[in-house]
Amino acid sequence: MTPRTLPGRTLRNTWSSVFETGWGAHAYPYLMVLPAVVVVIGVVVYPLASGIITAFYDVTLRTLNSGSAEFVGLRNFERVLADPAFVQASVNTVIWVVLNVVVQLALGLALALLLHRAMPGIGFFRSGILVPWVVPSVVAVLTWRWMYDPSVGIANELLVRLGLIDNYHPWLGDTSTALYAVTVESIWKGTPFVMLLLLAALQLVPRSILEAASMDGASGWRKLWYVILPQIRVSFAIAAVLTFILTVNNFNAIWLMTEGGPLNSSEILFTLAYKYGFKRFDLGMASAVATMLFVGLVIATTVYLKLIQAREGD
Amino acid sequence: MEAAAIHEREQEKLAARPKSRALRLPRQVRTGLLYLSLWIAFIWAVFPFYWMIATSIRGKEEIFQRPPSLLPHTVTIQNYVDLLVGAQFWRYAMNSLILTLGVTIISVLISVTAGYAMARHRFKGSVMLPLFMLYGQMFPPVLLLIPFYVQLRFLGWLDSLYGLTPVYLSYMLPLCVWLMRGFFSQVPLSLEDAARMDGCTRWQAFWKVILPMARPGIVAVATWVMIHTWNEFLYASTFILSEKKRTLPLGLSGLIGQYTTDWGVLMAGGVITAAPILLVFFFLQRHLVSGVGGGAVKG
Repeated sequence: MTPRTLPGRTLRNTWSSVFETGWGAHAYPYLMVLPAVVVVIGVVVYPLASGIITAFYDVTLRTLNSGSAEFVGLRNFERVLADPAFVQASVNTVIWVVLNVVVQLALGLALALLLHRAMPGIGFFRSGILVPWVVPSVVAVLTWRWMYDPSVGIANELLVRLGLIDNYHPWLGDTSTALYAVTVESIWKGTPFVMLLLLAALQLVPRSILEAASMDGASGWRKLWYVILPQIRVSFAIAAVLTFILTVNNFNAIWLMTEGGPLNSSEILFTLAYKYGFKRFDLGMASAVATMLFVGLVIATTVYLKLIQAREGD
Repeated sequence: MEAAAIHEREQEKLAARPKSRALRLPRQVRTGLLYLSLWIAFIWAVFPFYWMIATSIRGKEEIFQRPPSLLPHTVTIQNYVDLLVGAQFWRYAMNSLILTLGVTIISVLISVTAGYAMARHRFKGSVMLPLFMLYGQMFPPVLLLIPFYVQLRFLGWLDSLYGLTPVYLSYMLPLCVWLMRGFFSQVPLSLEDAARMDGCTRWQAFWKVILPMARPGIVAVATWVMIHTWNEFLYASTFILSEKKRTLPLGLSGLIGQYTTDWGVLMAGGVITAAPILLVFFFLQRHLVSGVGGGAVKG
């Protein structure tokens, strides 16, 4: 194809002509990604590597000041594993993650199905249901903490009025309910995002498939199980992995409501690592816990990326 | 074999049909149930938000009245006055604003060229880099927290807003690049070709033609960064030590007292912290939803 204008001669020379030919052209894409790559290496890759290395050193505030940390091999991991708080936190993390993921996905799917229809006023409901997702997480957590107040909290009052409990209960102060009370807040906060992802997926399900299913006499539930769910399964899996990652990393909810207490009853691995690091200032132990969490998350992330690639291949 | 299977399914369908007919409720009842469940979900989602506002406009005695009443009896702006009269809250808001603007500008500037190059050019690593960026977003913050602490301490940047900026970039930039790449790959290639035909250099085509076309995407990414920086709590609470460097979320959590907490003032602060985010969200709802939902997932 012949260019319509003659190149070079008719053009005003600008500084950016350097990138048109030769080395300039070759370097151009690299120069464009360079700032991002440099920053990411500086603020993600390097800290990550040094964080993992810290797990094998004895790093405390004292050794930080003197600048000589001692290599201790796996001793940080041994100390962590021997700590009863770690066992408790692991159990709590499993409960916390399973409850959050299962309930958020179930509710998110139900809400997405509910909102995926043309009805008068549906926009109003959709906006309202997205509110928890939009409210800043610190604000949301503090509001829930206030609602759980043991003496004048509205949650207690509503539950009493509904006849579900007889007396006001200190939900966050009781070792048997603290973790679950925080879970309720986290479900409230996280479900709208799941709903959003699944709603987007539902809108991509071709109408013709649903109509064909109706013609064949499939009832609502069968249509959901045999037609809709297989169509959105990849989005559903993506939502599951994302929820998993967000839940494992949900620090604000637990920290601002209970700080992991009372008596470690709502401690998860994340808050435990934080306590090791910034209450006890034993950065080696904190890094050991964080590294274990990291391995779990890398596995989840790998699954996530595989799913995305599968979807792009579709 | 196949015929038998079909036959079986047919039978199953026939058997299931009358049952599902019997279960099918009249139209009005079904619509009624739908709206009922929508209202329940709506109230569940909005109630805490309502309660925050309702608490913030009550008088001090009424807040601690037992049992609490759903509707405020008296409406007062005393809590807001108490909150805003002190200089602290303004300072927190100013800190949050400076930090948010700084992080947003830096991450948009850096991610815009990277996202474009990854979407348009083939070079060594053009396949791996975007995936790597996505990985970067998934690292647990707690693992980065410790090395950041050590580094900032070493540099003497603890307890400063400029020290927080690189920390926030670690949390924002990878996903920004990933989202930008998604937006740029949606701008038609032919536009760039046309600009080049007309004599633009590659940089001019990018700067004058592609960038304006991708503006909705850039706005979405910028808004996403702003919201997250505005809301961030973990890093700020770890690296900010003195009271006057606090950001808004940190300032809010600081209002929780050891023994007593002035919930009216705290909730007023919550309303003011949430307000800009809610405003931005409802103005840009369409962009953001497709940006985060579509861009993040579809790439």
